[in-house]
Amino acid sequence: MMKGRFKLFECFSMFILAVVAIFISICLGAVIIGGFSSLRESLFSDEIQFAIKLSLTTATISTLICLFLAIPCAYTLSRKDFPAKRWVTAVLTVPLSLPYLVLGLCLLIVFSSQMGQMLRDAGFRVVFDTTGIVIAHILVNLPFVIKLITEAFSEVDPRLEFIAGTLGADEWKRFLTITLGMTKRAILSAGILAWSRALGEFGATLMLVGVTRMVTETLPAAIYLNISTGDNDMAMAAATILIVISLLTLIITESMDKKRSRTVRS
Amino acid sequence: MDRIIEIRRYSLARENFALRDIDLDIYDNECFAILGRTGSGKTMLLESIAGYYSDGSGSITISGKDVRTLPAEKRRIGFVYQDHGLFPHMTVFKNIAYGLSMRKKGKNEIRERVHDMAAAFSISNILDQYPGTLSGGEKQRTAMARALITKPDVLLLDEPFSALDPATKDSIYGQFRRIREQYRCPILFVTHDFNEAQLLADRIGIMSDGRLCGIRTPKMLFQPFEDDELNRFLRIDRAAE
Repeated sequence: MMKGRFKLFECFSMFILAVVAIFISICLGAVIIGGFSSLRESLFSDEIQFAIKLSLTTATISTLICLFLAIPCAYTLSRKDFPAKRWVTAVLTVPLSLPYLVLGLCLLIVFSSQMGQMLRDAGFRVVFDTTGIVIAHILVNLPFVIKLITEAFSEVDPRLEFIAGTLGADEWKRFLTITLGMTKRAILSAGILAWSRALGEFGATLMLVGVTRMVTETLPAAIYLNISTGDNDMAMAAATILIVISLLTLIITESMDKKRSRTVRS
Repeated sequence: MDRIIEIRRYSLARENFALRDIDLDIYDNECFAILGRTGSGKTMLLESIAGYYSDGSGSITISGKDVRTLPAEKRRIGFVYQDHGLFPHMTVFKNIAYGLSMRKKGKNEIRERVHDMAAAFSISNILDQYPGTLSGGEKQRTAMARALITKPDVLLLDEPFSALDPATKDSIYGQFRRIREQYRCPILFVTHDFNEAQLLADRIGIMSDGRLCGIRTPKMLFQPFEDDELNRFLRIDRAAE
């Protein structure tokens, strides 16, 4: 009787899995099949080439800035106790649960204020400018990257850093050779995920810089613009390009996670 | 004999535990065992000497220098944890070489010294391996080689033999004696094994509940204490007296 019940549960789970996998495959497949025929034309179009270049550039710059800011934040959160640590952690985590449109609105208000005006006068233009795309990506991704790297640093036994100290390493060297040394794959993985998210980010970007063809037009913006103007084929082609890039980053991160698990297990 | 480590009224408080008023002298070329139950503060005392904690009260002096505010990298201490604490992302070679590269030694000197040390500990054949693939004995010898290659003033060992099977222990005890003769630095090691303490140590300190309750020679270890808890730990029958 127990065996029969167990098999029924197994079948039910497999059925649900099959339905979910088929549904997602249909959604992705519809875009890929629809966009495939226009893929070659779109890859040679000025608009899509501009969008690809802008997306890759802004995603890369914002990811590097995120990593630069996240690493010291994550180290402090994983290693130090300080007053108001819980509040600081909460503040850094809240953006993870906010809609990206809200994050974009927050940035719009900040950079439209007097301070934003002063920055604009000094040559640092954010609103309706490509710099704003980078800023939007940073606000969306920084909490996510801090979380991932904090988890990675927390897995490093502080006693290993201490032993490195007894062997003559000062604080910087302990951090570089032990903490970073043991987490470099996790950090790279976090960077790749952040880059992939930045590539597909639209909500915060839309709020802060708008969507202007061939000016602030990223790949997601290109999809939006082309759907809005009825050019579905071009929109699907741009979506297909995004899907392919996302798939590649997924494969790279999975293979890095596997290598990291092997090292941790050993 | 020169006093290498002097500890005077050292106390350290943590959430649920405290070291209290530790007074201890360790002499040059001495092997000192710290014996006590799990949770008696043995490892905490070792870590305090090595610089893991910076907020204790009292004084700790090593080779005449007050080290309480000195970071670990300036104390010239060799430290080996019970689980060896090898760097998992570095080969055995790089683990052993780590201290020398932190002291900016040249590549040739590092290579030569690592190979010499590996030969002394019979681990030349595993230099290219990662710690995850090593046996308990190999890890232990690698950790000892790494600690000793920098010629520390003091060697601190936290239950160095507890994870080993009896046969491996015997061979490691022999190696331990050879290390003592060769390096002639004071060795402080933590154990909860009375036999091990009697076999290897010149003097034995007994810890309980964060206090150093007494220091005995190996022959006098089983003389009764006033504290019945300690007598129970050492299985001393006061009635038999």
